[in-house]
Amino acid sequence: MDDTVLSLKTQLLEKESEIVALKKKLAQLEKGNSVLTELQEKVINLPPLKSNTALNNEDIMRYSRQLLLPELGVKGQVAISNVSVLVVGCGGLGCPVAQYLAAAGVGRLGLLDYDVVELSNLHRQVLHTELTQGQPKALSAAQAISRLNSRVQCVPYHLQLSRENALQLIQQYDIVADCSDNVPTRYLVNDACVLTGRPLVSASALRMEGQLTVYNCRGGPCYRCLYPAPPPPETITNCSDGGVLGVVPGIMGCLQALEVLKIASGQGSSFEKQLLMFDGQEGRFRSIRLRPKQAECAVCGETPTVTELQDYEQFCGSAATDKCRRLNLLTKEQRVSVQEYKAILDSSAPHLLLDVRPKVEVDICHLPISINIPLSSLENKKTEHLTLLKDTVSDLKQQMSIKSQVPVFVVCKLGNDSQKAVQLLEKMSGEEVDQIAVKDVVGGLMAWANKIDPSFPQY
Amino acid sequence: MNTEQVSVLYFAKSAELTGLKAENITVPSNISSLRLWQHLETRHPRLSVLRDQVVLAVRQEYVPLGEQPLTLRDGDEVAVIPPLSGG
Ligand SMILES: [Zn+2]
Repeated sequence: MDDTVLSLKTQLLEKESEIVALKKKLAQLEKGNSVLTELQEKVINLPPLKSNTALNNEDIMRYSRQLLLPELGVKGQVAISNVSVLVVGCGGLGCPVAQYLAAAGVGRLGLLDYDVVELSNLHRQVLHTELTQGQPKALSAAQAISRLNSRVQCVPYHLQLSRENALQLIQQYDIVADCSDNVPTRYLVNDACVLTGRPLVSASALRMEGQLTVYNCRGGPCYRCLYPAPPPPETITNCSDGGVLGVVPGIMGCLQALEVLKIASGQGSSFEKQLLMFDGQEGRFRSIRLRPKQAECAVCGETPTVTELQDYEQFCGSAATDKCRRLNLLTKEQRVSVQEYKAILDSSAPHLLLDVRPKVEVDICHLPISINIPLSSLENKKTEHLTLLKDTVSDLKQQMSIKSQVPVFVVCKLGNDSQKAVQLLEKMSGEEVDQIAVKDVVGGLMAWANKIDPSFPQY
Repeated sequence: MNTEQVSVLYFAKSAELTGLKAENITVPSNISSLRLWQHLETRHPRLSVLRDQVVLAVRQEYVPLGEQPLTLRDGDEVAVIPPLSGG
């Protein structure tokens, strides 16, 4: 009896502290919301930022540790409070940029992102939380920012930056930070900054590397001066397929915030004609001296051919997102659905399941019956892997009673690389290996997880 | 013809395509930036997809791909830097 009473009392105490925590959280969110400009789904014209000429006592206390810097001082702080900054992308770079700019007291902070918060964002996008999953990133970031410094005017934009809205938006801000995750957006932001005369503090990160340059600032180059032609889409690796260690964009975003603050306070940036590279694995920074802006540049040159914004997805041949593209390289006959493959697996018909993902992904999860030969090994005809393939195919051929082609099913994460592998394997069939009948599994292992086995991990 | 040993550093996609982060190569001391790039492409044919986007830096300074001659010295650092776009 005593035990039951004790247990109930304990449970009650736990519940009460949960309620207190929930109330606190709610109060914080409500407080955050109250000072926010509401979520913008389209670009509107904001009233001009109210100009400050002096600091009040609260400002003096809040910013005292940076006011003590001779490089900044009261004059610099007042200048920062009169500046508006647009952060394009509230992801791995945008979160630390927004956080430090808000902490430092910029006047107005535009936060733009089209996506919603997902669990796989949280390792690097440090303003978002488990509680804001599913919310627009712009709103989630703005709420976090307004809890940090309610004196900053925060404008969340839940929209896709486009040729139609970019100029109207960017001309309302003094400085732009490119924290985007894809090539078309980088060209769009660059051109819009050149056409409106705004300095562009741009950074990027992938895996354990980062880059930073300030474009279109005091005679320095623009993004197009450095990269006149966009990269072929198939050479672009984004964070969702190449991976990124969360702290690396964190470091680059902090450097971006620093350069924005230097420009805002009139100190000027150190990277107007420099490309800063960070190699997190080696722990090394390198700075490459760049040329000034180029007379023949298509947008910032002497006789520009780009005088208005373009269709950047068309220009780059890729979509303005870091989500994976869906390839369609094969015919219907060369493909099976996950349901069809499940039936083959259940029938115990002899076949080979070839997983063409890199080993690091196979270590995350795989189907037990598969063998792993990465696509890159097939492309480079890596000897040990070709031998493995050849031996496995000829073993299967011996097990099969009839003298038909050995069925080979190719799988990867989403069903893009598997199609490339099918094309390669068809060329190898009857040459490097015995005759095989190759098909790919549509949608890959993520389709398997979605439609066949919900316990299979997704990443 | 004088040759020099230079150290080539590969970043981002170029490290992936060559499978290397760095290597020492021997090249003529008087060579155009375009010839230097072609030399790297010959060693690593897969680099060719980067040709139109790559930033090539010699002694930490950008050099445009073209006919203008470089004067390389023993131990010079050549960096191959494709753009990153992620964030
Ligand atoms: Zn330019």
